[in-house]
Amino acid sequence: MKSSQREHRIYDPKMECMNRGELRELQSKHLRETVRLEYDNVPLYRARMDARGIKPQDIKSVEDLRLLPFTEKTDLRDEFPFGLMAAPKSEIIRIQGSSGTTGKPIVAGYTQNDVDIWTDMVARAITAAGGGKDDIIQIAYGYGLFTGGLGAHQGATKVGAMVLPMSSGNTPRQILMMRELGVTMLCCTPSYAAHLGETIQEMGIKPEELKLKSGVFGAEPWSEEMRTHLEEVLGIDACDIYGLTEIAGPGVAFECLEKKGMHVNEDHVIVEIIDPVTEEPLPYGESGELVFTTITKTGMPMLRYRTHDICRLDASPCQCGRTHVRMQRLTGRTDDMLVIRGVNVFPSQIESVLVGIDGVAPHYMLVVDRVKSTDKLEVQVELTDAMFSDTVAEIERLRDDIQQKIKSVVGIGAKIKLVAPKSIPRSEGKAKRIIDNRSI
Amino acid sequence: MFITQISVYLENVRGTLRAMTKVLAENDIDIMALSIADTTNFGIVRLIIRGASIDKAVNSLKSAGFIVKKSDVICVGVRNIPGALDEVLEIIEKTDISIEYMYSFNYNLNGDALFVLRLSDNEKTIELFKERNIRMYSQEEINSL
Repeated sequence: MKSSQREHRIYDPKMECMNRGELRELQSKHLRETVRLEYDNVPLYRARMDARGIKPQDIKSVEDLRLLPFTEKTDLRDEFPFGLMAAPKSEIIRIQGSSGTTGKPIVAGYTQNDVDIWTDMVARAITAAGGGKDDIIQIAYGYGLFTGGLGAHQGATKVGAMVLPMSSGNTPRQILMMRELGVTMLCCTPSYAAHLGETIQEMGIKPEELKLKSGVFGAEPWSEEMRTHLEEVLGIDACDIYGLTEIAGPGVAFECLEKKGMHVNEDHVIVEIIDPVTEEPLPYGESGELVFTTITKTGMPMLRYRTHDICRLDASPCQCGRTHVRMQRLTGRTDDMLVIRGVNVFPSQIESVLVGIDGVAPHYMLVVDRVKSTDKLEVQVELTDAMFSDTVAEIERLRDDIQQKIKSVVGIGAKIKLVAPKSIPRSEGKAKRIIDNRSI
Repeated sequence: MFITQISVYLENVRGTLRAMTKVLAENDIDIMALSIADTTNFGIVRLIIRGASIDKAVNSLKSAGFIVKKSDVICVGVRNIPGALDEVLEIIEKTDISIEYMYSFNYNLNGDALFVLRLSDNEKTIELFKERNIRMYSQEEINSL
């Protein structure tokens, strides 16, 4: 809403505005290096390339990308923790992690080079949203293995801003600090931003008492309606940011103040859209699965990582001057992953918890709601005769046990509802495990 | 010296209790004692019925989709005068046994008020009650009500 009044700031104009021919050359050069690195250091990639009869020297340019094997999230789980690392452990200076598709987490290892690249990517995002050394930036993403907090922190530090590392939660204190320090930029999930906005209103604080001007929101999909809402309640420009631990973390792609899609950092990653069924690359503009190849990382580079996110790429020139293609909003998933309070949740994770508990039926349903801008997950589990006790304490113990196990595997709290046998609808084909009542 | 209790799991949703009583009514089952433990999310209904109807009740409830469990509980007779229940509970209190739950019957027997007791140690309690001459009732005696 405010974008028309402000000029576009660019963190690294040489890279971000490089002409596409030169960019293609640069990508090809880095791709060759990455393929060589993978082949020489990562047994899984060597085996897969050998199986396809491909040698590193066969990959000469970006056009040859389609010859390379894909990488799946399950590969990170199977090779957990260090199997996919191309650098010796002594060169790895950071581990970040994310949930896997089952009980086992996935981790990514970063060399100093990789942390620097990631930091630059977020610095570009913050700059694109109008941030710089004069800003006070509040980070309300969780800090820890989750890349949100540290990623935003590093990027905000890099642009020279005054960084307020609040982490997530404790909303009244977030708002107090925001007001007292005169915070100008906010980094968090869009749903938490909405929650902050609503709480600010409830506390009777007027927007003019705050100095917020923009926000960089990500880690979960959101909509144009949500943008309008956030811009109104917080009086800001709300920009989207995209990323995933497997590739770097937040910052893989980000919006400029034009707010017409997220520029992919193409000097660090090659982005493809593929048909998820035929696995064939699709031209720009077509909707398909987003696939990334990292070309500058050295710790855990990724060849053709399948995100399972569905979107379109837009290669038309952007008013901001950046030449990097833009990802349009995610329109869905090719799998059943849910994003709840910024955390990736797979029904298979919940299932792995439930099958480990005696007497629990494998029938369950995940119900997701958004109450006052906060995601709520309810796990409905069918009670069986074996689980049922005639005392309340026993049933509550069982419920708490399920809740605690889900929390430790998935990383978020869920409400457990024990329901009557056969009350969860059976389906003849693929079981329906999710009821998502959120409108995002 | 146990009697059989039927417990039924109910979700805290309007209409579930009635759905259960409807099944019992259709099967002509007399409820002799009933208690409901309710929490914010679920309830447990505990029932005492005549011995001959137990299997019928369990099967009909199960086929109607309820989770049902049979368990052994103690039926203790307490003289119908003030202080009588307190005397019984005092016996338990002086041990390390704890009461999981208790509830009373809708019937009297031999002038005694009848209570259902579920304890952390049922067997030990029975021995204790026998020593102290506390009247307990068997399933057969209850069936005659």
